[in-house]
This record gives sequence, structure tokens and C-alpha cells, in this order.
Amino acid sequence: MTTRLLMGNEAFAHAALEAGVRVVAGYPGTPSSEVVETVAKLHAAGSAKGVHVEWSTNEKAALELLAGASYAGARTLFTCKQMGLNVASDALLSLNYVGVEGGCVLFVADDPGPISSQTEQDTRRFADFAKVPVLDPANVEQGMDMMGEAFALSERYRTPVIVRSTTRVSHSSTFADVADETQAMQPAGFTKDDSRFVIFPARARRGHVEINERLAWISREASGDAGDWETPNGGRPGDLSRFNPVCQHGEDPKLGIVCGGVSTEYAREALAMLAQAGELPAYRFMQVGVPFPFPDQAADVFCEGLEQIFVCEELDCVIEDAFRRLMGDRAIEGKPVARVMGRKSGDAPSVGENTSDDLRARLARFLGVEDPAADGEGFDTASVAVPPRPPVLCAGCPHRGSFYAAKRALKKMKLRGVFHGDIGCYTLGNAKPLDAVDTCLCMGAGITMAQGMGVADPEAKHLAFVGDSTFFASGMTGVANAVYNQHDITICVLDNSTTAMTGGQPHPGTGAMLMGPQTESLTIEGVLGALGVESVQIANPHDLQESIDAITRAVSFEGPSAVIFRAPCVNLFRSAQKAHIDGETCTGCKRCITSIGCPAIGYNGKVAVIDPAQCNGCGLCTQVCPFDAITVGGAE
Amino acid sequence: MINVVLTGIGGQGTVLAAKILAQAAQNRGYHVRTAETIGMSQRGGSVVSHVRMGNGGERVASPLVSNGQADILIAFEPGEAARVLPLLKKDGVLVTASRVVQPVTASLSKTLYEATPVIEALQAREGKTVVVDEAPLLEEVGNPKALNIILLTVAMGCGVLGLTQDEFRQAVSECLKPRFVEMNLKAIDIVNERLGLV
Repeated sequence: MTTRLLMGNEAFAHAALEAGVRVVAGYPGTPSSEVVETVAKLHAAGSAKGVHVEWSTNEKAALELLAGASYAGARTLFTCKQMGLNVASDALLSLNYVGVEGGCVLFVADDPGPISSQTEQDTRRFADFAKVPVLDPANVEQGMDMMGEAFALSERYRTPVIVRSTTRVSHSSTFADVADETQAMQPAGFTKDDSRFVIFPARARRGHVEINERLAWISREASGDAGDWETPNGGRPGDLSRFNPVCQHGEDPKLGIVCGGVSTEYAREALAMLAQAGELPAYRFMQVGVPFPFPDQAADVFCEGLEQIFVCEELDCVIEDAFRRLMGDRAIEGKPVARVMGRKSGDAPSVGENTSDDLRARLARFLGVEDPAADGEGFDTASVAVPPRPPVLCAGCPHRGSFYAAKRALKKMKLRGVFHGDIGCYTLGNAKPLDAVDTCLCMGAGITMAQGMGVADPEAKHLAFVGDSTFFASGMTGVANAVYNQHDITICVLDNSTTAMTGGQPHPGTGAMLMGPQTESLTIEGVLGALGVESVQIANPHDLQESIDAITRAVSFEGPSAVIFRAPCVNLFRSAQKAHIDGETCTGCKRCITSIGCPAIGYNGKVAVIDPAQCNGCGLCTQVCPFDAITVGGAE
Repeated sequence: MINVVLTGIGGQGTVLAAKILAQAAQNRGYHVRTAETIGMSQRGGSVVSHVRMGNGGERVASPLVSNGQADILIAFEPGEAARVLPLLKKDGVLVTASRVVQPVTASLSKTLYEATPVIEALQAREGKTVVVDEAPLLEEVGNPKALNIILLTVAMGCGVLGLTQDEFRQAVSECLKPRFVEMNLKAIDIVNERLGLV
């Protein structure tokens, strides 16, 4: 055992390895990516023995691969972010009916805020819809415990199990004890059994009975009901009640506080601050760490004597709804009911992250005590304005040249263009001054949306910008559709040889696997050609004229066309060269700033200046300066 | 509880600085939680790291520092200091770098974004404010990436982190790749000597 500072996602990877996980697969997405990366790192270091780990082409591919491994008895771990589960949902919703053999755990990271996502989708709600149990940790340590338990639970009931984390749990760190070496459990191998593994309507009907039966059992386990039933794998029931802990302050409380996820810790923090300021009335406190199937029995006991319940949770009002339903059940049985307050009732913010500050104010009101709000320092923004600093394409990012060239080419051709974006760093092409992303929906959607808008708005040229990893993940079907249905669009593949936004993961186009040797990479031009795209241009986005010419040729082509803009991400390859602006020649026209908006170019009130600490010497600015004031030279 | 907030721009090295403080606190036997900004904001956007140490033997609950609870704010850029100032206690310590980094929004704007008015506004606060002239120190250290160690060393000199110099140096040695340790320990010496901190 070694005690190490671990980020939540790193810790969960360790916990899965210690549980003997044999196959790990996923698709990158913030805030989930570090789980697979950590397994790969430990495998490469030789400490995670016997594990297979991979980035799959997309989430659906990953989960189906793991279903196969699980049928053969292997413990398997799937990882994705909340929207990734939508991609894998086709597999999950059938897999649940078939059931699993080896423990099958889905680690899904939600993103309240949202901070790095398109939506505030709640995986607890998804679990309810999919009829799959979900565990929801309040902190890193509990998440490690849940990860280990999830494999056992999955095998006891032959069900997939979701461990859902959120950004603040996944990306917070603490010190934890982890094994120095782990060994994957050896699976027994596949045993043919058509009554289980081949899904037909009759199998599905039986499967639905099995699902309902096991969810009722798991709800009892979550309540700590040590009944005596034989679980589907022939074992004994377990006890999940430690994930739904209850504690009490004072005698005969009338007030209850119920929390889910990281809000549990925010509420504990808030209550500690309130307790420091003065005496608190009696209250009962519960964390619901198994939101589905809901621990009905434990929650019913928790409610005894309570008149009001305040629910602290993020995203959807999942726990609040469960308590409201429970109150309905209690009313029917003639038991006293409590008023349930939370996001739905308007007593808590309906969207966005919770904070200890906000919960302290709300809990003070709920408990009827004074809020000892601690005002922090303020900054007089009236006298000194600090400019906003949103994320931007890095200095030297090849996407900047691609977008700028496309805009220039269409302007020159006097054509109106609609630029359909996609999910990745290049969504940042939306920011001013590039202003080059007009739509963005979900992974791979740019290519297909361009086709639909082309039908509805044929006067414009429709260009779809997609990254290399996104192209393989979910772009290819859209390309096939464009060729099949003859849509006149131009697909711009921004090939920077990595999955950049999520931290630089390899993908099929790089040929680098997480384990084993470099393989033959899939080429984007090969795929486009095979799918029947006749006009495929390749351009270096750092060469402005070459890129403008490539776009011009592709847009002029009737029918689906493509341009592959190829240059590595600056985080993979940094040039030692830097751009220099000759202060004598520069007229201060700001063209370099207003055209391409590179963060390495600033303005000192007279002339433009390069920040050498940021410049990566891509040279795009030298091609937009009308006075040839910018040159690229060797390192300083 | 000792609450530390570090802020800067994605890529400036706040994450490693937070890790060093966490390691030092752990070596003391404190319960520690940290939180980071990871994802889209890392692409040149504002980033904030939180480090919370249970120096009274207490367990840390939330990984995030609440408003007005930070004992010290370490800023890698003065404008970023201004942005997260509400997290700092009124009598808390502010350590900030003095060079502004122009965001694209500022270069595009008609109004210039300059260091002096921001720093003057920061210095007007009642609590202790240390403005670090990092340029000559970076030059002497000879590594533009050493801003995090320079600022941490100044923060150490303010005495609110509750760590000894030896503990700080030990944590630096544990958190950095071996080939960078010597350079960073030397950077600590240079900063202490030039600013007369130790």
C-alpha cells in the first residue's frame, strides 16, 4: 500500500483495478477521461497486471465490447461523460434485459454547471429510465468504496451498475491508500446459453421480470434490509446501507436534511459553519448515495417525526421527487407526511452547481437561525475593469488557420456560408474575431446538420467542421449519408492528430493504442474515399494561400466534398520559433488582432506586440499583416 | 483549517503549485482536499485551484473554498487576482504576480488593459498584499515556467501557510520530476535571497 494524492478519477481507476477489473474501455469526455488514462498509465508501468485497456471509437463501441467481455465472465469498466451515455444507450438498454455475467460497471461523470458540457443531463435520472442501479458518491473516498462494491453488486444481480460522479468529485483530490500492484481476475470464459445471451421478445419479457425483481431486492439492500433471499447468481444479499448514512443532531427533530453527491459535503460544511455561529435546532441528516433503486424503507424510517425536509442535490430533482412520492405513499397509508423542499418546490436553485455559501444561507433559513455570511474582499470593478478571459484556441493552434482560410475563401467567392461546428476545441472558433462556428449540437452533428440546412437553405454554402477524433467517433455515418443522398456540402476535417480538448488522447487515426505497439493508422482520406467522397483536398492550415485554394476547390465542387486540414496540435508539437513584430514597420492597424485573434498578439496602444511566452511560431500572423511587419525567426 | 486559493490562466502551472502545498500538508498529517479547473477553461481561460488543509486535525468536507474563507490568495496574474478576490478573507494575504497577460477580448477592445490601475486597486485593500516583480526573478532563475515556484516561495515568506522551509522544499522534491528538482530548489534560494525573505 502507498498513500498518494489522487484526483477522484485516478482514485476510482485504482479502486476498479483493486476489484480485479479485466477489461476497461471508454471514450474521452470531461470530466471522465482520467479513469481510462490512469488504468493505461498503471498498465504501462507494470503495476496493473492482466488488464486490457483501450479508448474505443465511441461510447457505443466501448459498451458493446465490454458486454461481450462480461458475458465471458470478465469484470469490465466502461467510462464516459453524461452525454456519452446517450451514445451507448442503445447497448445499455438491451444489455440490462440480457444481464451480465462478469461485473459490468459504467462510470459516468456528470457536469453540473455545466462547466465543460452542452447539457446538465442527470445520469441518476437516466439510470431510473434504463432501470439500472446507480451509486452517487459524495467524495473521493466514498467513490472508491462504491466502485469496489459496484462490481460485487453487478455480479450478485447480473445487472449493469452505474457509478455516477460529478465534476467536483472527479476533479477534486485527496490522499488515499492504493495497492502497489493489482491483478485482473481471470474470467471463466463464455458458456453458450441461448436462454440468456440471445435477445428475442420472449427473452426480453422474462428479462423485464428479472429486472423488476432485482430492483426491488437492491432497494432493500440499499435500506439495509438483511433479508434472506438467493440472488440471481446463487449468492447471498449484500448491504448497501452504508451509502445512505443517517445521523441526527439533538432529540426529536422536526427538520430533515437530505443530500446527494457532492452537495452532501457542501451541506456538512454549511452546517459546521452555522453550528460555529450558534446553537442549531434538532435535525436529522441523510445522504442518498443509492438514488436508484431508491431506498424506500430507509427513507420511510428517516421521515418519522419530521415536518419538513430540505433536499440538497444538483441537476435534476431526483431525490426530491422520490421523497414527494414517498409522502404520497405515506398519506395513502394514513401516516403523517412532511413538506419536501428543494429544486422543484423553488426552495433551491433549479439549475447550476450548488455551493457551500448558497446552502449555508438556505439551511440557515430552513433551520431558523442567523446566517453568519462571511463577506470576502470585493474588487471595485467600477473603477478598474478587468477584461473577461474566456477559453480560446491556443496560440499556434492549427484550427485558427483553417477557420480563417474558410472565411476568406467564401468572401472572395462572394458566397454566403454557414459553418456547422462540432464538439471539441474547434467549438472555440465561435469566439470573436474568428466568429466561424454558426451551429454546434452534439458529437458528429455538424456533418449531418449541414445536409439538412442545405435542403432548407440552399442559397448558402454549408461547411461542416469536425475534428479527427470526432470524425471517427460519429462523423462517418454522416459522410455516408451525404454521399448516399447527394448533399452538396463541404466537410472540413481538422486533423490535429489527437483528441485535444479532453487532454490529448489517441484515436483510430493516430494508430497509437493505449497498450501494445503502434498499429497501422486509419487514414481520414482513405475513409472519405471509401465512402465515396470524390473531391478530397489536403491542406496545411498554417499556409493561408494553400488553405484558401483547397476550400475554394472543395466548395466549387458539386456534391459532397472534403478538405483535410492537417497539422499537429500545439500541445503535441511546439515549434522553437517565435514571431517578431518590427515596431518601426507596424502601423498599429491591428489587422493581425482583428482577423485571427491569437492570444499571443497584444496591443500596447501604438503597435501590436508578440508575447514570446505564448507564441508557438505558427506564422499565420505573418501572412495576414498587410505591411510585412511580422517575421518568424529562431528561438530567443 | 487553512484555505489556499491559487488562480491564473490555463497553462501557467497553478495545478502543480496546488499539488506541492497538498503534499506538504499531507506530510504534516493534515487531511487535505484540493480542487482544480480541468477542461475547456484550460485553453487560455481563467483557472482556479483550491487547497484545503485540516491543520487542527479536522476532516475537510467540501473541496472548494467558500466566499471570504481563503487565508491566502496566490495569483499568477493581477486581473485574475481581482476576479477571485471575493474568496479571500478581508484580512487574508494576497500574493500576486505583476505582469498582465492580455486576453484576446482586451486586444480587440478599444480600452487598454494595463497592470498599474489593477495593482493599485488591489493594493488599496486592507489586508496584506504582496506584489511580486517576477520578471527579474524569472530571468535569474532562467526558466519562464518557474513562476509557480517563485510565487509559492513568496507565499511561504508570508507565514500563513503554516509550513517550514524544510517541509516546503521536501514537498517540492516529492512532487516534481527528478530532473527539475534542483532547478526549482535553486529558484527558491534565489527568491528568498533577492527578496530577503529568510
